[in-house]
Amino acid sequence: MLMTADAFAANRAVGRIDLAVKQHAGLTRRAHVFEDGPLRVRVPGAPGREAEAVIVNTAGGIAGGDRLDITVTAGGGAALVVTSAAAEKVYRALGPPAEIGVTLNVGAGASLAWMPQETILFDAARLARGVDVELAADARLLLAEAIVFGRTAMGERVTEGCFTDRWRVRRAGRLIYAESIRLDGAIAARLAEPAIAGGRVAVATVLVVPGNDATVAAVRGCGQEYRGEVGVSSWNGIASVRLCAIDGAALRHDLALVLQTLRAAPLPRLWLN
Amino acid sequence: MATRMAVGITTMTAIIAMARKSPEGHLSPSGRGRRAKVRQVRGDYPVEGLDPPHPNPLPSGERWSGPAQGESAALYRLMTWLSPAYPVGAFSYSGGLEYAVEASDVHDPQSLQQWLVAVMAHGSGGSDAVLFVHAHRAIAAADDRALAAVAELAAAFVPSRERHLETTAQGRAFVEATRAAWPCDALDRLAAVWDGPVVYPVAVAAACAGHGIGLELALPAYLQAVAANLLSAGVRLIPLGQTDGQRVFAAIEPVIAETARRATATALDTIGSATFRADIAGMRHETQYTRLFRS
Repeated sequence: MLMTADAFAANRAVGRIDLAVKQHAGLTRRAHVFEDGPLRVRVPGAPGREAEAVIVNTAGGIAGGDRLDITVTAGGGAALVVTSAAAEKVYRALGPPAEIGVTLNVGAGASLAWMPQETILFDAARLARGVDVELAADARLLLAEAIVFGRTAMGERVTEGCFTDRWRVRRAGRLIYAESIRLDGAIAARLAEPAIAGGRVAVATVLVVPGNDATVAAVRGCGQEYRGEVGVSSWNGIASVRLCAIDGAALRHDLALVLQTLRAAPLPRLWLN
Repeated sequence: MATRMAVGITTMTAIIAMARKSPEGHLSPSGRGRRAKVRQVRGDYPVEGLDPPHPNPLPSGERWSGPAQGESAALYRLMTWLSPAYPVGAFSYSGGLEYAVEASDVHDPQSLQQWLVAVMAHGSGGSDAVLFVHAHRAIAAADDRALAAVAELAAAFVPSRERHLETTAQGRAFVEATRAAWPCDALDRLAAVWDGPVVYPVAVAAACAGHGIGLELALPAYLQAVAANLLSAGVRLIPLGQTDGQRVFAAIEPVIAETARRATATALDTIGSATFRADIAGMRHETQYTRLFRS
C-alpha cells in the first residue's frame, strides 16, 4: 500500500508560474518569469500598451492530487490580459482533489484581465480552486472563469464529483468581493434544480472592477444575442455577470460576447480556435 | 402576516425540541450551566440526527416546569426579533423569488418547495447560516478579530445589488432597533470592530450571542424566519392558498434543521453556495417591469 501511495504521489503534477509585467515608456513588458513543472507561460507578439500572456499546461489536463499555482503581477501602469492555450480538462480523481491557486496583484493605474478558457470537469473529478486578488485603489480588473460539467456533445456527463471555487478580491487592502461556489456530491442532481442550473451544465462568472451602471447597460445591451441566461448587476463600484448555459458551446458564445463588450477589444486569438 | 406569526409559533415549539436534542454545548458567554439541566430530558425521545421524519414527534404532556426562566426569555426575544412585526422590513424582499415566479420557474407548491429547499440548503440560506454561526461564536468568545473577519466577509459575500440591499438594509435596521430597545454590549462591540455595512445574519447573531441565546436555539430560529419570509413572498406571488403554503413549510422543516446542523460544522473559509439561477433571478429582478418587492 505504501508503494502505491508513494507512486501516486510521485506521479502528481506540481506546477507553478510566477509572471510579472511592468510598464515602461507606455509599453508593457515582462519583468519576471518563473515556470516549474508542466506549466509554461508565453508572451507572444511585440510589446504594446497591453501585453497578452498565454498559459500552457503541457500535461494536457489535471488529475486528482495535482497542485498548480499561478501568480501574476501587473506593476504600476501596466496592462495585461492572461488567457490559456486551451480549455483545461480535469479528470476523474480517485483520491485527493486537484488544487489550483491563482494569485493576482494589480498595481497603481494597472489593469489585468484574467480570462482563461473554460475548465471542463469529467465525471467524478475533484477540483478545489482559489483566486486571491490584490488591487491598488485605482487598479482595473476583469476576472472571468467558466466551468463546464461534462462535454454533453461528446456524451460526457458529470454525475458526481466535487468542485469548489473560492474568490477573494481586495482593493487597497479591503475585501470588496467574495464568493465561493461549492458543488459537492451528486452534481447532476444539484444542477437539475431550477434554483441551481435548471439542468444546464455550463456556468461562468465575470467580475469587473471598477464596475457601474454603464457596465451593466453594456452587458444587458447584448440581450437578444445570448444563447443562455445572463444576469448582470453592479453595486459598491463593482459589477458582476453570471452566465448559465445549456452546454459548453453556448456558454463560450455568451462569455465571448460579454468579454468583447466589456473590454471593447477583440478576444485573444486563442479564444477563437 | 398573521400566517407567518402562526408559522413562527408552531415552529418555535419544534425548535425548542431540537435545541434540547442538540449535541452542541451552549456557546454563549453566560448560561453554560443552565442548559445542562435542560439537556437531561434527551432520553424522552429519539435523538439521532437533526432531521427527524415529518411530522416531527414532539414530547408529549404538560411541561410547564420544563423551560428554565432563561429559556423563556430567550424565546421571547427571538420571537420578537424574528417576527414580521420587527421593524426590519423583511416583507419587502423576495430574494429574487419574484423574478422566478415571473419566469415561471416557480409556479405551484412543488416548484416553490424545490426553490426554497435549494436556496436554504445550497444558496443564500446556507451561507447566511455559516455567517451566523461564526458571528455568534466570535461574540461568545469575545474575539474581536474573528468578529471583524466574519463581518467583512459577510459584507463582501453577496452576488448582486438587490441581494446586497436586502441583507445590509435589514442588518442596519435590526441593529438600530435592537440597540435602542434591547441594548447589549455585543452590538456595541460589532460597531466598534467593523465600520462597514452589517449584514442581517451577522446582526441577529451578534444580538443573540450578546443576550446569551445559544446557537442551537438562535440559528434554527433565524433560518425559520428567513424561510418563512420567502414562503410568504411565494404564497403572495404565485399565488397559493395559505394551507398549501403551510404544507410546503412543514415539508421543508428537516432541510432547515439540516442546514443549521451543517453550518455549525463549516469553517468560515469553506462557506459556499451554488444557486447560479437564483443569483441570476436576483439580477434580472432589477429590470422586472412590475415589482412588488425590493429584491
